[in-house]
This record gives sequence, structure tokens and C-alpha cells, in this order.
Amino acid sequence: MSSEQEHLKETNTEARFEFKKEEKSAFKADKGLNEETIRVISEDKDEPEWMLQRRLRALKQFQEMPMPTDWPGQPDISEVDVDEIVPYIRPDVDVRAGVDDWTELPEEIKDTFDKLGIPEAEKNALSGVGAQYESEVVYQNMQERWEEKGVIFCNMDEAVQEHEELVREYFMTKCVPPSDNKFAALHGAIWSGGSFVYVPEDTTVDMPVQAYFRMNSEGMGQFEHTLIIAEKGSEVHYIEGCSAPKYSAFNLHAGGVEVFVGEDAHVQYSTVQNWSKNTYNLNTKRAIAEKNGRMEWISGSMGSKATMLYPSTILKGRGASDNHITIAFAGEGQDIDTGAKVYHNAPNTKSTIESKSIAKDGGRTNYRGLVHIADGAENSSTAVECDALMFDNDSTSDTMPYMEINESKVDVAHEATVGKIGDEDIFYLQSRGLDDDDAKQMIVSGFIEPITEELPIEYAVELNRLVELEMEGSLG
Amino acid sequence: MSTKAIESLSEDTVRRIAEERDEPDWLVETRLDALEALATAELPDVIRTPGRKWTDLEALDFETLVDPLNQADTTERDADGDVVVCSFVEAFEEYGDVLEESFGSVIDPTENYLTALSVALFTTGTFVYVPEGVAVEDVTVRAEMNSRSLFSQTLVVAEESASVTILESIASGADVADDRYFSNLVEIVAGENANVQFGSLQNLSPDTYTYSLKRGDAGTYASINWIESNFGSRLTRSDVETELNGDGSESQIVGTFFGHDDQHFDINARVWHQAEHTTADLVTRGVLDEEARSVYEGVQDVGIDAWNTSSYQRENTLMLSDEAEADASPKLIIHNHDTEASHSATVGQVDAEDLFYLESRSIDSQVARNMLVEGFFVPVLEEIAVDEFREDVEALVAERLR
Repeated sequence: MSSEQEHLKETNTEARFEFKKEEKSAFKADKGLNEETIRVISEDKDEPEWMLQRRLRALKQFQEMPMPTDWPGQPDISEVDVDEIVPYIRPDVDVRAGVDDWTELPEEIKDTFDKLGIPEAEKNALSGVGAQYESEVVYQNMQERWEEKGVIFCNMDEAVQEHEELVREYFMTKCVPPSDNKFAALHGAIWSGGSFVYVPEDTTVDMPVQAYFRMNSEGMGQFEHTLIIAEKGSEVHYIEGCSAPKYSAFNLHAGGVEVFVGEDAHVQYSTVQNWSKNTYNLNTKRAIAEKNGRMEWISGSMGSKATMLYPSTILKGRGASDNHITIAFAGEGQDIDTGAKVYHNAPNTKSTIESKSIAKDGGRTNYRGLVHIADGAENSSTAVECDALMFDNDSTSDTMPYMEINESKVDVAHEATVGKIGDEDIFYLQSRGLDDDDAKQMIVSGFIEPITEELPIEYAVELNRLVELEMEGSLG
Repeated sequence: MSTKAIESLSEDTVRRIAEERDEPDWLVETRLDALEALATAELPDVIRTPGRKWTDLEALDFETLVDPLNQADTTERDADGDVVVCSFVEAFEEYGDVLEESFGSVIDPTENYLTALSVALFTTGTFVYVPEGVAVEDVTVRAEMNSRSLFSQTLVVAEESASVTILESIASGADVADDRYFSNLVEIVAGENANVQFGSLQNLSPDTYTYSLKRGDAGTYASINWIESNFGSRLTRSDVETELNGDGSESQIVGTFFGHDDQHFDINARVWHQAEHTTADLVTRGVLDEEARSVYEGVQDVGIDAWNTSSYQRENTLMLSDEAEADASPKLIIHNHDTEASHSATVGQVDAEDLFYLESRSIDSQVARNMLVEGFFVPVLEEIAVDEFREDVEALVAERLR
């Protein structure tokens, strides 16, 4: 414990908002998107022909699909002009597929991640770690004892080469097809980096696996792809963190996450997202759970200018279950539109969604969620609970759940509340000698506690720290 | 929706309807504006999610459903006391000013395709005028629809400190071989400290398509309470809405529905909090049997100036059949933080333990199920203050459960 806390002290969370490195890249794709760009990316990565073909097909779908603009109350994403985005930057690292020794990394990249506390975290609490700088994974390591058991944790580009059969079978074929939405199609065309995790049958990886994504260049897009395959009876916890420095031009993050939860397997996917406040976070995350499989999504959405992200789970096998826990925090100028999607496609499936949101200084949060229970999914149950906290009158808090129930033998419940911070609670804390800011911070910490307690300690601390940063000095 | 243009409809049709009723110019103009709006107006919004449109209004074939010049109905209006309850035609002479001032002030006739169609073609409906300080308990309007299509327009004006309870029921009269279309617009203007309770019971024949939009404008300290009961028709699109425009105003929207066969109910309850210290309570309960389907949307919209708002919403659906489907979307849109708001929605079936308990007391399983369904409606029935209306709803529930 003590060593963990030691490194947490060194992890300067505050600094990640501001510090940015002069970009120094070996290869930078031209702005904009055309077939030529895609061919160049694919060639630079030395990809097999089938992957190039998939990229080109996705590009075509992207070009044909309209921008999503007709959702009720959706964030304004009109500023997102894909032609202005630099889709691909390879940092100047010699080893193409990343390095597996921290000391081999170029100084400025190492420095960036040191500030974020990546290597220390690995030493202390993680079984594997990957770090992505711009479009490429620059560092990847997995503790030996897991490697011996056949666990694979590598960057996605490497997986295309080394584990071609698995990738070919699972990559954007069964879970998130490029045709799913416009940004999934974009992602399918220009994805780069990300993680590949494979856990063999009956293997339990009892320490979390972590990836960290960072955009350092102005006006770039990040399109990392994460593919997790958890075989029958296995168990794994994957954590990702995201950040980017502030620039005047906007950044676009359109990642893709596909999770395959095998029979009796258990996957937990935790995200603490702290993109800078000029980032459009339009991510697609989806899991498919087989018989008695269990999927857990834990998300903290703190950063970004606009987020449209709805992690979804398809409960495909009998007895599969899903658990969503999300926190959204929208400050000035932020529009965090997030939620969950669950499809109950088999009998005896179960889902719970717990959402907490906080809106202040003119920010907007929206819980947008869909629960679909298919005909024949007998004895399924779902419970959705949304709580929102509002700080001031410039902010907006919306709740838009959708429930589609095609089966009668079900138990469906949805509940939501919206309120302000209780004056009495604040008064009580003040009467105990806390000042107004501390009292409010404490109430917010208590409000999100059900979520932070699900996270490993260092992420919980980080999330709390981020909330504190958001709260500081801005209250009157 | 220009594709929905109805060929048989022309300015001449509208003028003929108006002339027959000897209508004042302003109303003829309003009708003609509505007719013109049909060219560009859209159908009311329906919820769409990936791969699913909750209600398909575009499938309605207005060309065959709408028969504007042959509308027929029998409407009985009863009222005691110092209140005006009559048809528009009877009101033009004496209350023309009140009508002109308030007509279309709550529902813009050109708001959507169906409102425009309704305003352009209505031939029946009721005008209720409650002068300042007058309190009336029993206003009843019983209507029978006797034609292929019928368009009804109701306006309720309650002046300062007036109080009125209105019960409206609509059923099918003479048999018509074809599919039918019923359209019902209700506007309520509740002045300062006025209190309006409006109950509506729809039990139309199973070949009828129904569009109903009821909206109230609540002034300072006013309260508007709705009871919306839907039992009949094949497809029902029902919107019940209150704008809380005055400080301290209140609204309650109570809804019940019971679907069987292949009935489709699209039930919507919406409230806009626009002023300080306003309160809203939305309660809906529905039962679905056989292949019936329900769609529910509830919206609690709290505006930026709505300080000290309280807003609650509950919706419960009980499924009696495996073929039934229920979609629900309770929404909160909150722009003012000085708000206490909550909503909840559930979908479930008859509780097996409850059923077992009753059976263990030697109650036949069918009877036990019926008792539990009747019990399911009790929490909403209790919200209905009018005995007569509650009894009507209970009777219809019992009839469905036979």
C-alpha cells in the first residue's frame, strides 16, 4: 500500500491539463481522409491485404453515412470536420511495434508518461501496461507470469501481425461492424494502435491490465482499437485512461472497443476519461456476453468538449449479466451525453445500470440509455438508476432513458432523480468547521462514492482528484 | 409531409364546413391557414431507436380515412350552474370575443400535420366558459362518433378563481364498415387561481385510429388536472400536456390504459415548468393483454426561470400476455438547479406469489388474476376525485377482464 501511495503523490494529475510536448513525429499523414491516406497508413504498418480491404470498405461506408444530427437534444458536433483532422501520427520511435523496456523510450515521451504515473503504476499494481502516444503504442509490457499462462497483451498493430487468425476473426466483424454508425465506420478506416487482450480458458488475471492513451498534437484524431477476448471461465480487468493537452483546434477521439465475454467468463472494463476540453469524444464500445458471462463497464467521463458514448452489452447467452456504472461531470462548455445500452437476447439475463452525473458552470449532462428485452428473453430483469446533481442555474441536466420490452416475464425498473446540493447538508458540514468549498467537495465525493469504490485504489484516487480539480475555486 | 396531401381536400371543402356553421371570419381564416399549413407540416414526433420506430403514423392513409363533408356525431352536454357549456356554433353570437381570444392560444393549429388537419375540418366539440369566481362540479359531455371521420375541437376558459370539473367521453355509435379516424383537440386556459379538472374516457370501436392532443395553460396559482383513460380504438396517439406558466401553478396528469387484441397505444404526458414554485405529478398505469402494444413518453421540462420546482413522474405497465410489448421513455430536462425531480417506470407481470396466495385461499386462478389487475389500477383510480368517472373506468376494466 505505502509504495502505491508513494507513486500517487508523484503523479501530478493537475499537470496533465496543461503540459504538452512539441510534437516530433516520424510520419504524419496529411490532413483529411481519402483512399490514398488509408493506403499509406496500412502500408506504413505493413498490414496484410485483408486489413487494407476492411479499412477501404469502412471508408466507403463512412463516406456514405450521414452525420448523426437528429437525436433529441444531442450535443453539437457540427464543428467536427473530418477533413481537418490529422488521422495518423507515428511518433518518432525506432521500434515500430513499441518498446518493452521503459528506458528505451525517447526522453520526451517518457517524460509525458512519467508525469501521468504510468511506469510506477505498472510496478506496483498492474499485471501489464500499454501506453499510446498519438496513433502508435510506444510502450507495452506484460508481467512474465501472465505470459507463461498464455495471456496475450499487446498493441493492436502487433496483434494484426502476430495473432492474425484471431484478429481476422474478431476484428470489427461480430461486435462493432463499421456500418454501426458513422464514427465506427471512420474508426474502421483509420484505426491505429490500441490494445489486444487474449485470456485463455479458465485463466484468471487477478491484477488489472492497463492502457493509457494520449494525444499530444494539435488537431489530431485518435482512433485506437481495443479487442478483448476472454475465453470460457476466464477473468480479466482492463483499465484505460485517456488524456490530451489543451490546444485551440479541436481533437477527435473515435475509438472502438470490442469485448468478447466467453461462457462463465468475467470482464471488467474501467475507463477514466480526461480528454482536454476541445476533444470530441465519439467512441463506440460494445461487449457480447455468452452463457453466464459477466460484463462490467465502469466509466468516469470528466473531460472532453462533447462526449457521445454509450457502452453497450449484448447479453447473448442464457444467464449472462451486465453491470454499468458511470459518472459524468460536465463543467463549463462541456456537453457530456453518455449512458448505456443493453440488449437482453436470452432468458435469465440480468442488467443493472447506475449512473451519476454532476453539472456545473453551464455544463450539460445527459443520461441517454436503452434497455431492450427481446421476445423470448424470459425471466430477465433490469434495474436502471440515474441520479443527477446540479450546482447552478446555467447548467442543464437531462435524463432520456428508453425501454423496449417485448417479453412479458420480466422485471423492469427505471428510476431517476435530479436535485441540487442540499443546503442543510452544507450547513451541517459548515457547522463542523468546513468551509463552503470543502463541504461541497465532500458532498460530491459522497455522491460518486458508489462508483469510486468499484475502481482500483489508484484510479479511485485519480477520479477523486479530478473531481476536486473541477470543483476548486469555482464555487461561490 | 407534402406526400400526405389529401386530394379531396380543398379550400372549397373548408369553406363549406365553415358556411354550414355560419362561422365568423376569423375562424374561417384560421381554418384556411391550417389547411395551407398541411403542405409543409410534419407529423408529430415519434420515438425512434436503432432499428425500431415506436409508432408508425406515416402508415395512416388519410386519403381514405378522411371524409370531411360527411362527419356525424351525437353529443350530449350537461351542466348545472352559472357556466356556459355549448357547441361553438351556439357560442359565436354571445361569446364570440372569448372564443376568438382563446382559440388557438394554447395549441397552435399549424403545430403539426394532425393539428392542422383537425382545425381545418372540425365540426364538433364543446365550448366551456366559467366566469370569474364560479364553481361548477358536473359538466359532462358524452359524444358518439357516427361517421368515418370526426374532428372535434374543445375549448375551456376558466376565469380568475373559477373552478370546474369536466368529464368527456367518446364512443362509437353507428357502425361504419371501413377504418375510421377520430381527432380530438382540447385547449384549456386556466386564469389566476382557477382550477380545472378534465377527465376524458375514450372507448372507440376497434377499427378507429385516434389522435388526441390536450393541452392546458395554467396561470398564477392555477391548477389543471387531467385524467386520460384509453380503452378503445386500434391505434391511439394521445398527448396530454400542461404549461405551468404562472407562479405557483400546479398540474396532475393521471393516465390509464388497457389494451387487448392488436391495439396500439402511444401515450404521452408532458409538463413544462416555466414559472416559480410550480408542481407537477404525472401518474400513468396501463395493462396490456394479447398482442397489445404500448408506447409511453413522459417529459418533465424545467425551464431556466422555474425556481423551486417539484416534479414527479411514475409509470407502470403490467403485461398479461407474452405477445404484448411495452416501450417506455420517461424524460427529465432540467435547466434550473433549484428543482426536486424524479421519475420512475416499471414493466412487469402479475406477481406469481400474489397469485399463489390467492389460489391458496381457494380462489380460481382466473378470478385471482382479475383481482390483481383490478388492484393494479387502484393507485391511479385513487387519484381520480370524481366518483362517476372512477366507476366508469372500473366498469371498463371489469368488462375487459371478463
